[in-house]
Formats: sequence, structure tokens, C-alpha cells
Amino acid sequence: MTVNPSRAARRKMVSWIFTGACMLATGVALIALMLILWSLLTQGLSGINLDIFTKDTSAGGLRNAIVGSIMMCLVAMVFSVIIGVLAGTWLAEIGGNTRYGHTVRFLNDVLLSAPSILVGVFVSTILVNPFGGASGWAGAVALAILATPVVTRTTEDILNLQPSSLREASMALGASQFITIRRVIWKAAGAGLLTGGLLGFARISGETAPLLHTAGDNQFMHEPLWDIFGMMSNQNASLPVMMYNFALSPFEEANKLAWAGAVLLAFAVLGINVLGRWLAREKKM
Amino acid sequence: MIDMTTTDIQSVIVPPPADSLVLEVKKLNFFYGTHQALDGVDLPVKRHAITALIGPSGCGKSTLLRIMNRIYDLYPGQRADGQILLDGEDILGPKVDVTALRARVGMVFQKPTPFPMSIYDNVAFGVRLHASKTSAEMDEIVEESLRRAALWDEVKDKLHKSGLGLSGGQQQRLCVARGIAVNPEILLLDEPASALDPISTAKLEDTLEELKRDYTIVIVTHNLQQAARLSDYTGFMFLGKMIEFGPTADLFVTPKVAKTGEYIGGRFG
Repeated sequence: MTVNPSRAARRKMVSWIFTGACMLATGVALIALMLILWSLLTQGLSGINLDIFTKDTSAGGLRNAIVGSIMMCLVAMVFSVIIGVLAGTWLAEIGGNTRYGHTVRFLNDVLLSAPSILVGVFVSTILVNPFGGASGWAGAVALAILATPVVTRTTEDILNLQPSSLREASMALGASQFITIRRVIWKAAGAGLLTGGLLGFARISGETAPLLHTAGDNQFMHEPLWDIFGMMSNQNASLPVMMYNFALSPFEEANKLAWAGAVLLAFAVLGINVLGRWLAREKKM
Repeated sequence: MIDMTTTDIQSVIVPPPADSLVLEVKKLNFFYGTHQALDGVDLPVKRHAITALIGPSGCGKSTLLRIMNRIYDLYPGQRADGQILLDGEDILGPKVDVTALRARVGMVFQKPTPFPMSIYDNVAFGVRLHASKTSAEMDEIVEESLRRAALWDEVKDKLHKSGLGLSGGQQQRLCVARGIAVNPEILLLDEPASALDPISTAKLEDTLEELKRDYTIVIVTHNLQQAARLSDYTGFMFLGKMIEFGPTADLFVTPKVAKTGEYIGGRFG
């Protein structure tokens, strides 16, 4: 076959332009990320000291917001991991190909991209207004509603990656579908499921909108510390809501705390994401 | 899709003595949706012997194997009609307890499928499903099964390490050990050596040779030498039909159907 030199040259040129465009787009995204990180570190790092971990927001620290965030996220994750893993398992292993299964998957995808403020308003209507006020529980439920579709989706994806030969091998020994899922499939998918949970956790730890009208805010730490039930039944501070309030404050001290909280939150989310991906990669090897 | 070229072939079945049969496949048809994969297949399986199934890719060997323990049940849209008698009872019947059936008819797959758990737990997995054993009894079953699968000496010091850390050949013998731990009457093997190197293959074949004293083995293989070396009876399948079945020595040396001779002689496949 004879090669037409002008066509070959044109193809090379198109390829070069396309590669260049891709690199440019990547560069723009990276620069934006760098700028965010730069402003976070320059403005927030100076605010990080021991006090923010030991004092409450009323005294210039972030202790109550940090504890509130962790507590609400953990409670939310308990709900969403239980519901999400079971729902994802059902979609992947049992009913995913039925009409009902397709509907569930579609609705889950819708929920996955639902505006978080809507979830906040919804939970506020069903759990805050009838029960006489904002509480950590309501905040946790709102966060759980946001994390559940993430966990459901990753669970389904991860289970679908497990080879069908593994299911057949288990069934061929006379195992029921329940035992096959519980003892073989979940075990094989363990690291992936954990990653799904962590990604869900990362997704909700920075949410502000669903907490504004559900968890409220609180300048103090609930006493005594071990009374978790009491803490969750009261209004709860959280890092994102604290940032939202303090960033708008006219006082420089408050602004500084907001920046420090932003740094903490950014690195917590980064850490969780890195951990999640690392666990997922361990599995492949 | 059954090719016209097979319709004029008369299949020849030379069964083992009737009283030595443990399993009998009779007039078996099988469908993947609307596609017919097996067409009136007969297969007599002799107790405590190795029966090999040979034939070109897509001829239905694996399909036939997957019906014998009803593993095809996992997939909606697949259905079988005809009869498979196991000790005189039709296992295709609707009232059959497939869990119990699969404890009687074990299976080893083409690719090793160790479970993500320790070597010990892999072997104990099936036993725990069907019976409660003391830990001493379980230790004994695990050791016995691993010995029979010729794997004991290689793994006895790392029983509680993951089964995923073994080599491919060891994994496959682990799957054999796992299969015989539940003490099935029949062991189905679907090209068990196709992913193994020659040394592992030889070890696996030795294992099967040992096992046939106590178990009935049905093996699907692409490797004609393996079928000739190992088996007592061989069935040659082509385009969803059982073309010829008989004692291995006869079928390989003096095939009664021309098509069998062509396949064994390497003229197609």
C-alpha cells in the first residue's frame, strides 16, 4: 500500500493538536486545584494549633465541631453501609435484572446526584419540625441519605467484578445463595466494599447544606463527653456548618477559625480518599 | 444450531455393563434461551471409573457436565429436558434438592477458583455446609482430602495461609481437595488442566488416577492424549450430539464412526 504523505502529515498534525488540547485542559484543572490548596495552606495553616483541638468554638477552638462532624458522619455511615451494602448486593446478585431492579438502580442514580439542600429540607420536614428542633440524629439521617446511594453503587460495581466462577464454585459445593454471598463473595470483595464505604464517608464529611436545617449549630461541647445519645439528641456543631457561619463573620478571629477548619476538612477528605484508593489497589495485586 | 452434516451420522454407544452404572444421561436436550446446545445426548457413566468427554470447542461437552450437578440452574433462560438418572432417580425433576445433589456430584472448574480464605477453610467450606464436625474430625477430613489431592506435603505447614497465595497447579489441586472433602459420589472436572503447566498437569492426573478407586470421575478435556491416558470410557461429542461412546481403548484405536476417527486423527477440531 502506498502512503499518501500529505494525509499522514495531516493526521500527525491533528493528533498533535488533540494531545495539546488534552494537556491544556488537564493543566487548567490542576492549576485550579493548586490555587485552592495554596490559599488553604497560606491562610489556614497559621490557625492550626493545639487549641483548636482542645477548646470549643465558644472559646476559640474547634473541638465541638470536629467531634460533631465525626459523630454525625459515623452514625450516618452505620445506616448507609448497612442499607447500601444490602441494596447493592441485591442489585448485583439477586434482583438487578428484573424490572424492579432496573427501577431501583435508576432511582439510586437519581439520588446519587440529588441536590444536598433538598435532602436537608426533606429531613428537616420529617425529623426536625415534628420533633421540636434540630438534632445530631436528624443531621446524621440527612448525611446517611446522601451516602447510601454512593455505597449502593460501589457495592454493586464491586460485586459485579467478582468472577461468576467463584459463585459457581461455591454453589457447586452445595452452598445456598445466601452463604455464597456472605462467606465467599463479600469476602472476596471486602477491600472494595471498604473503599465504597470510605468514599461515601468522604462524600458526606464536607456537606453543609443538609446539616444547616437538621443538625443546627452549637457553641459548646455536650457534657459529659461519653453521653453520645444525649449529644446526638441536641443541636450539633460540625466543621462545614462552622465554616459557613464563621467565614461570614465580621471578626477576624472567626474567619481564621473557618480557614483552619477548612484545612482540617480538606486533609481529612484527602486522607480518606487516599486510604480508599490504596485499599482498592492492594486488592488487585 | 445443529449443523446438517451431523443428521446423517448414526451415533454408536457401547455402554459399560448395566449394573456398573452410577449415572445415566438419556435423550438430553439443552437450551440456552432459544439456542439448542445439546440434542438427544446419551451418556452412561460407570461407577469408580474415569469417563472422558472429548470434541471440538462448542460441541457441548462443558454444557453436558454443567447439567449433571444442575449448576445451570443459576442462570435463568437455560433449560434441560430428558433424563439424568443418578442411582435410578431423575435429577432433572422439579422436586430434586439441588443442594443435596451438589453434595453428591462435585465439580472442579477450568480455572482454579480458590475462595478468599485460608487453605484449611477452603477445604472445610463444603463440609461445614453439610455436617457439623468437631475440630478434630475436621482436621482429619482436611488432611485426608489434601493428601488425596496430592497437596498435603506442599501445604501442611501453611494451612492457615490464604489459598490465593498458592501456584495455579496447587490452587487447582486445592479445588480438587475441596471437592472431595464433602465425599461426593461423582466428581465432574471441566478441563481442569487447561490452565496448568505440564508438571502440574501430570500431578493432577496422578491424583485423578488415585481418586477413581473411591469416586466416579467425569472429565471434559481438549487434550486427546490426556483422555487416552486417563480414562476408561470416552465419549466423542460433535455439534451438540454424542457421536460415539465406548471403552477408551476401542474408541481411540478402532473408532466405529468415521467422524470420530477424523477428529482423533486431527483432521478437524
